[in-house]
Amino acid sequence: MAAIKGGANALAQLAQAALALPILALPVKAGAAEVGEVGFSLLGYKERGLMNIVEPVLWGRMQFLETWEVQASAAVDIISGASPQLVSNASGKPVQVITGASVDDHRGTGDVKLTKRFGEFSLAGSIAYSKEEDYESKAFGIEGRYDLNQRNTTLVAGYGQSKDRVGSSDDKTLDEPRDTKEYLVGVTQVLSPTALVSSTLLWSRGKGWYNDPYKLTLTFFPSGSPVVAADVRPDHRNTVVWLTRFRSHHPASGGTLQADYRYFSDDWGIRAHTLEVAWAQALNERWTLRPALRYYTQDAADFYSPTVTRPPPAVHSSDQRLASFGGLSPSLRAILRFDAKTTVEATIGYVQNSRQFHFGGGGSDAFETLRAYYGLLGITYAF
Amino acid sequence: MAAENEVQVYAEDEAHAAAVANAAIAEVKRIEAKYSRYREESLLSRINAAAGKDAVEVDEETLRLLAFADAAFRQSDGLFDATSGVLRRAWNFREPRVPARGELDALLPLVGWEKVEIAGNRVRLTQPGMQLDFGGFGKEYAVDRAARVMAEQGAKSAMVSLAGDLAILGPQPGGAPWRMGIKHPRREDKLLATIPIMSGAIATSGDYERFIEVDGERHCHILDPRTGRSARGLQSVTVQAQSCLIAGSATTIAMLKGREAGLAWLEELGLAHLAVTEDGTVIERF
Repeated sequence: MAAIKGGANALAQLAQAALALPILALPVKAGAAEVGEVGFSLLGYKERGLMNIVEPVLWGRMQFLETWEVQASAAVDIISGASPQLVSNASGKPVQVITGASVDDHRGTGDVKLTKRFGEFSLAGSIAYSKEEDYESKAFGIEGRYDLNQRNTTLVAGYGQSKDRVGSSDDKTLDEPRDTKEYLVGVTQVLSPTALVSSTLLWSRGKGWYNDPYKLTLTFFPSGSPVVAADVRPDHRNTVVWLTRFRSHHPASGGTLQADYRYFSDDWGIRAHTLEVAWAQALNERWTLRPALRYYTQDAADFYSPTVTRPPPAVHSSDQRLASFGGLSPSLRAILRFDAKTTVEATIGYVQNSRQFHFGGGGSDAFETLRAYYGLLGITYAF
Repeated sequence: MAAENEVQVYAEDEAHAAAVANAAIAEVKRIEAKYSRYREESLLSRINAAAGKDAVEVDEETLRLLAFADAAFRQSDGLFDATSGVLRRAWNFREPRVPARGELDALLPLVGWEKVEIAGNRVRLTQPGMQLDFGGFGKEYAVDRAARVMAEQGAKSAMVSLAGDLAILGPQPGGAPWRMGIKHPRREDKLLATIPIMSGAIATSGDYERFIEVDGERHCHILDPRTGRSARGLQSVTVQAQSCLIAGSATTIAMLKGREAGLAWLEELGLAHLAVTEDGTVIERF
């Protein structure tokens, strides 16, 4: 830290001597960095014994006519393997059961965002589309940004809307709408030449079909016949997300601390916290290593239960993604600046979600530990 | 100044733009006349002619420029030295000949900022043959002054560049940045990078401006006041700062410190920079 202090002091001494002359102190402002970049990445995700996902993504970003920027991306998810469809207590305690049907699906997504800058203010419009066999989503958004305080502060506000259709490959007659409206406000503040913090609040109001047509709950009772209940969720979901990010660069060691906290809450009763801490360490001019650790904890939805009563409640789900659980996910990323224009990065990560990781204990007993690996390989070319 | 110099101004009408540009050009000419070492009648020539003899009375502007040179000398641990120009007596960059150790050793006693006496408004070079040289900051000061003069004339969107050292008052109309091309230190027809700048000053020092190559080794005009030899380790350094004086001193000091210490110095200053090391590696911190 002494080195930083020395450098800052040297700069202060030079500035003091220079500005004693009849000259101006010009605000130091850079424009946007490159003219454009394109990237390709390949994400692989493997849940032990369950599904595999492979996702190739192609994206690009370009500035044109000095004050315009266009961004676009396209991706395909190729999903294969099995997904649990039934929660049954036939064995004495409720467990997930993989039924005969295996998942084999393709999902295609694409989005385009156009931004125009008017001095300190910029306005962006975006559209997105995604389609898979049993789901279709169309969305648009608008976003305004305002830079003030010599660009040390940026305010952002946005609105988005999505119109989705939910279907089912098992029930071709299912065709239900889900409409969501999203709102966003945020602020980014430069704290020093090497640190910044940003905080964003997002809330959404959704209504429509949230039931998972593939999930069933089979509950046996000490006497009488068992009950099979379909997944029935509320027909609305309102969420609040608060996301705070902190970045702090340490020139003396060539490292950058990245710390993110995310709070999630919805009117289904879910409360979740995510904390991710990463350290990006430049080893030399070409190589950077970024180890990271993410912790996640969530409280169950009010209507989550691995079993049902007789008769089944009006609203109920045994989907363990709505249970109380926690997760830990370490990852390691290596970034290679191949030359001034080309960057290659590779990430490997592991996810373990279990009831033991729920913060303060009290995870849902029926939550079955999930173990997954993921890897990402990406290349970015700036032009 | 025999180099590519340029003023660009956006204004409501052509007359105003011309008035702003002419004021900037006049200011640059004033500073050149006052501090050029090539003009016998310049203030600098009079100070140098009196070396080892009398103190010369100088004005407030010159005193403050010398105070800046003093700050740069102290902050660079003696690398930035306004008396090192005398080494050019041994270095002639027009012919490929490296001065012998003895030639440089003979000149080094004439180098040393501590041998400049400043008392009140009087400046004296204590050794006969000593020279003050504003080469390391005179042009940068002219850029800063031109920017100030243009702002006083009401310009909000203007750029002044003297041989690639430049100041930008504000973005182009519509908020677009100025795109400043940075020369490639090894390929004359190629740009190393194009940096978009909304406002601020930029200076570049490189080993490609004036140099000789002898036995495959490059010797450039940026000379180390301790040894008399050329700076090593960096091909070029570009810095953005609040003023061209600050940016220019940072680039010169980084070049003289060399690869490791120079890059560390730039990081410590916390200024946006672009550097090319002797093996061609580009370090971009913009």
